[in-house]
Amino acid sequence: MANVILLGFGGAVCLVLVLLLVWGLTGYNKLVRQRNQVDAAWAQIDVQLKRRYDLIPNLVETAKGYLKHERQTLEAVIVARNQASTAAQRAAATPGDATAMRELAGAETTLGGALGRMFALAEAYPDLKSNTTMNQLSEELSSTENKVAFARQAYNDAVMAYNTGREIFPASIIAGATGFAEAQLWEIERAVEREAVKVSFA
Amino acid sequence: MDFFEEQERARSRTGWLIVLFSLAVCGTVMAVYAAMKLALQYAFDRPLFEQFWNGDLFWRVAANTVALIAAVSFFKIRALSASADSVVLGLGGRLIDPSTSDPHQRRLLNVVEEMAIASGAPVPAVYLLPDEPGINALAVGLDASRSAIAVTDGCLKLLTRDELQGVVAHEFSHLLNGDSRINLRLLGLVHGILVIGLIGSKLLRSLGRSSDSGSRRKVNLGGLGSIVFVGVALYLIGSIGVFFTRLIKAAICRQRELLADASGVQFTRNAAGLVGALKKIGRLDRGSRLVAPGAEEASHFYFSEGITHFTALMSTHPPLEQRIHLLDPSFQGELPRGQLQPVAVEEEIPGVAAAVQSERSFPVHPRAVIASVGALGDEHIAYAQSLVARIPERLRDSIREPSVARAVVLGLLLDRNPQTRAAQLSALLAIGDPQLADQVSSASGALRDCPAEARLPILNLALPALRRLSAAQYGELQAAVDRLVRADSRIGLFEYTLQRVLSRHLGAHFKPKLPDAGTSPQIQVVDAVSVLLSMLAYAGAAAPADAARAFEAARAELSPGRFRTTLLPREKCDLRVLDGALDRLADTAPRLRGEILGACAAAVATDGAVTIAEGELLRAIADSLGCPMPPLLPGQHVRAAGERRALG
Repeated sequence: MANVILLGFGGAVCLVLVLLLVWGLTGYNKLVRQRNQVDAAWAQIDVQLKRRYDLIPNLVETAKGYLKHERQTLEAVIVARNQASTAAQRAAATPGDATAMRELAGAETTLGGALGRMFALAEAYPDLKSNTTMNQLSEELSSTENKVAFARQAYNDAVMAYNTGREIFPASIIAGATGFAEAQLWEIERAVEREAVKVSFA
Repeated sequence: MDFFEEQERARSRTGWLIVLFSLAVCGTVMAVYAAMKLALQYAFDRPLFEQFWNGDLFWRVAANTVALIAAVSFFKIRALSASADSVVLGLGGRLIDPSTSDPHQRRLLNVVEEMAIASGAPVPAVYLLPDEPGINALAVGLDASRSAIAVTDGCLKLLTRDELQGVVAHEFSHLLNGDSRINLRLLGLVHGILVIGLIGSKLLRSLGRSSDSGSRRKVNLGGLGSIVFVGVALYLIGSIGVFFTRLIKAAICRQRELLADASGVQFTRNAAGLVGALKKIGRLDRGSRLVAPGAEEASHFYFSEGITHFTALMSTHPPLEQRIHLLDPSFQGELPRGQLQPVAVEEEIPGVAAAVQSERSFPVHPRAVIASVGALGDEHIAYAQSLVARIPERLRDSIREPSVARAVVLGLLLDRNPQTRAAQLSALLAIGDPQLADQVSSASGALRDCPAEARLPILNLALPALRRLSAAQYGELQAAVDRLVRADSRIGLFEYTLQRVLSRHLGAHFKPKLPDAGTSPQIQVVDAVSVLLSMLAYAGAAAPADAARAFEAARAELSPGRFRTTLLPREKCDLRVLDGALDRLADTAPRLRGEILGACAAAVATDGAVTIAEGELLRAIADSLGCPMPPLLPGQHVRAAGERRALG
């Protein structure tokens, strides 16, 4: 009978091991899901950022005719836009990557500042302020800004859930072993953000 | 095809499935026991079949095996319930960006949205399998609010709009008939048995590794041999178990495919589209086969056979020729093979822009309402197209963006009365997001150009975008909705409908419940029916006598003697009670739900007309009861007398 008891015991140990394995797998699947959510949330931002980067050259082109003596400011906007666009492409390759995200956040801050200066200048040109194309473009830009801000909030929530998820046992063991790197939040300084959104001509 | 009958059938099929599966598990247990016993006899050098029966050993083996299969199946089903989309993601699916400008993807999204509005089911998430050149599609879902449709790249590019519509209608029928849910459970159960085989192969592999590592200790050859034996045996048993469960899977699925074909044609009234799609599969060299490594596991989800089987018994779908022949008797069975050219897609012109006369109220009859559930027709699709066409283009495009969808939902709640409206807007400002109030009033400006009967479809169109909110953002949205609804200190019909739709279709998404974690409040079915019918009677009544009349009419629709429902006093009819009642009734048998829905329709229709708000409430109730109901058509005349055809 000893062998039977041994076998029963062995079976129980085996069962526990399998349950642990399944538990680990569930944790792994959850991490994958959360990681996917981070990627999906990033994709939302990415679409809006691209739209915004497409809008800005048109905006500058329209403003050029009026702001003849402000070439420097306009060029600064274009340069900042190109840098931000490159940074966004890099960030899209690996959403959540810390260096890429910080680079993008920095480039976006610069772009926001440059746009803010351009709109501040435009205040002094009544012709430009009444231009329909300019009004439409800036309206669209500000609505895109809002969408980016909203999508960024969703992205940060997803990152937060994912980062918490990968620190909780048993996922923490799996996360270390299978290369689930910590994702980076996209934080923006409040003051700059407010400046960037203020593009209304009304 | 009666929706409620199909639901009953789906339920009994689940029962059948469990019986068959239990048989497979019993067989597996016995096989494991035999293997264990033989291994023990071998290890202790006894004659192999001496004293073969050992009750003690058998129960241990049985308990362990069953516990193992149960645990694995449970975890798998739970994982699938948390996110039904994981099946699609496992096949390499990518969520189609709702604001995409790719004409093929745009067209697919439009077709799916039209079908959803026409059937009254929420718009599902739409996925693309970009690496699959064959023509195939699948629908996964636990319930109406957590469902997804995925199509292959070939399906997207090689089919015309009509053919695509046929395929989507077929998949919608799976969702509406509850097939997708059974399919998900099936996947979980099969996975449980599969694990036994996996353990066997792991055991063998680990053994191979440890002997490679050159341990020079004396190994008990008998012990080693028996471990090898157990490993091989487990592997074989697992494979045999999987073989049997695949047979079950195939047998259950094949008839459902024919039903889905028939319903698909019924939805679109256009057999040519579906036939065309099936013929293209037959003509395409690679047909409907999928290349993803996990394709076998999900084979029972597909539109058409996804993998090659060596026997027809294992096929999850009837032969292509048979399916075509059933829809098109003139088909001769010859499909020349070759390559297909991608279909050029023109700019999508939304809907038939024909002006549909807008009536303020719709005559309705209970029987007609019951018959319409889950069974849309081409007139519904045409109506959905015309509704969509009358939504301003800017709104239609931008509603696929989460921030806009949020603003639109809140905008739907803004009152026409300027005073209430001002109170609502200041309530929004108090939330502390200065842009929100602006966005909401501009959304409400765009909504003013929409016909009133488009309100519910607009809400439906907003759902996919709202699913992309983060949990925190969803919480904020709920709070904002609550503030707007409470701003005028009374809850209107539409306000209730909107909240109900939101909590039903997004609540499940953001806080997934376990499949059978029954948290429904302890309320008797009779009381729940009384609450529901009393609420409806009061909602449409101008005077107390009208309410009593409406209630009587509703009670007449219930089968006599089954319930003793009573008209509750008005103050007892609280919306929170109604929520509890609806949750309770959603758990009842499909046929009973059909009857209750008929009674609801009667209560709403006693005064001879159904206003838009009443119609919307009726559809929200149907939706809460798990019965997607197509929109009421303007001028839909259904005679009450002479049409009392018995149900079931």
